[in-house]
Amino acid sequence: MDITKKLQGFISVEQLKIEVLNAAYGNTDTTIAKLDSRTIFMWYVFYAIFPWLTHSWIVLTGMFLMLVAMIYLARVSYLLLFLFVFGLVGQGSMVLGVSLFFGGNLTTILPLLMFELKLAIISLAGLIAFSTMEPEKLSDGLLKIGVPAQVSFSISYGYRMLPTLIEEYHHVFMSFRLRGKAPDQHGLLYWRTVLYFMTLIVKSFYPLMLSSAKRARTTVESLESRGSLYSFKNPAVKKVKLGYMKFTYKDGLFGLFNLLYVIMLFMLAVALH
Amino acid sequence: MGQLKTRYVMTEQQKMMVFILSMSLFGMATMVSELLPELKFGLVEFKVEYFLFIPLSLAILFHPLHAAVGAALGRIIFGEIMLGQFEALGEIESFLGLVLALYVAGIIVRDPSNKKMVGFAALLAVVIDQFISMGVDIGKVWIGVEEFEAVPGLIESIVAIEGFAFLNDVLFSGILFAMIPTMYLVPKLYGKIEPLLGMKPKTKDLNIPISDIITPNFMVGAAVIAVVAFVAEAFSESEFAPSFEWAFAVENEILFMMISLIVASLISILIIWKILSNRENRKTTN
Repeated sequence: MDITKKLQGFISVEQLKIEVLNAAYGNTDTTIAKLDSRTIFMWYVFYAIFPWLTHSWIVLTGMFLMLVAMIYLARVSYLLLFLFVFGLVGQGSMVLGVSLFFGGNLTTILPLLMFELKLAIISLAGLIAFSTMEPEKLSDGLLKIGVPAQVSFSISYGYRMLPTLIEEYHHVFMSFRLRGKAPDQHGLLYWRTVLYFMTLIVKSFYPLMLSSAKRARTTVESLESRGSLYSFKNPAVKKVKLGYMKFTYKDGLFGLFNLLYVIMLFMLAVALH
Repeated sequence: MGQLKTRYVMTEQQKMMVFILSMSLFGMATMVSELLPELKFGLVEFKVEYFLFIPLSLAILFHPLHAAVGAALGRIIFGEIMLGQFEALGEIESFLGLVLALYVAGIIVRDPSNKKMVGFAALLAVVIDQFISMGVDIGKVWIGVEEFEAVPGLIESIVAIEGFAFLNDVLFSGILFAMIPTMYLVPKLYGKIEPLLGMKPKTKDLNIPISDIITPNFMVGAAVIAVVAFVAEAFSESEFAPSFEWAFAVENEILFMMISLIVASLISILIIWKILSNRENRKTTN
């Protein structure tokens, strides 16, 4: 039971903050990041829906390999990758273990593995798509495809705010720890310590909620002073704002390449069947 | 309906504030909770179940719909897509379930300083959310997934896992990490956080008959949400999903086509790289 150590390890948030900032702003010079955001959305939607429509191992594996290559090209942060692998393995082994316990056998494993592979493809596509776009690009892209401006703005705002919020939460948490008194004894199964930390985790949200309420108000008021809430709905403003977005030959080539690749995978699947 | 409408007269700006607040806070919280270790005693799992108390408090204190949608969106974007835990179609059900749960919890609390009501609403939200996800999970195996029926032990195991997870989530995570923190936070925030967003707190003496809440529209909406959620979730895993595996009987032709396509795609890689590098070189020389 090294739960307190794990909790304390989590509290070294510095790394997390840097990784999140990196995910939001770090990878703007990669090949994929130079594509139009609409291309990335289409690509993502394709990879998010398509795995459900097939049961072929060859196609799925091929898509997975493609995504692994793109992960390399897109330079996705290691922490996010680690979390992804960790989550996948944990979830898979849980379902697997229980179904074996209830008398399933090796044939149980294959459909479950395929299911996990599909999830992996979708998650990887999401990681790539979202960590190659910086908040402004994401917001403009969403606006272009018809998402209400309030929502697209909020998403990019959240993206930008996340590292700040994490840092602030960390500060509050630390100040609670400084002022408070940790339990003298750990108690049976560390329950006192666990309770202490859990209470702190909850309590730390109180100041954070107040301060982010203030920040939300400041943001909306400054938006308002620039007339944003009006311009959100004005098509002429939208046109000027999004005028810079153009499909280039890169988008075409990227789309063509992906299309050909998937067709090739199907051909392979049919031929090898 | 009249009273409901007059109860929440919020400007666009205030709605947006609530939306932003709920989304960024819950997004950040989900991210933290993904990183927190789980505490397990055998199969009983103590987890800070997605920090539900944050959007719950906001939904109870402010406009429930905006807080609910903001929170659900924040969870998907920052807790799942960004961390690579996203399941696409399967998430529709959890998104709608969370929105419904928070909305109901927000709308049944008339007086946020009434701790009992707040606690009840918080627990109700957890029950709604978890019940929807359990029902969908069991249902899709029971009805939709033929492939799994051939596998011995899978249905029992799914029912057992889901039923147990439901009880576990409601009894432990629900009470410890949703009900108690909400009961602590809501009365504390009540009257303090509203002025920060420039609005008046919910008044205490507001009396809304239950028929105002459970309107026909509401029930139709809930039913539609449930159906959409189920179909999306079942579709995501079932054999009903249209299958794009073509049954070509031709062998040689396919192989030729295949080879030509491989060549075509390889050539396209080369073109991409060449043009990209050419262009960059030109830019640097200019």
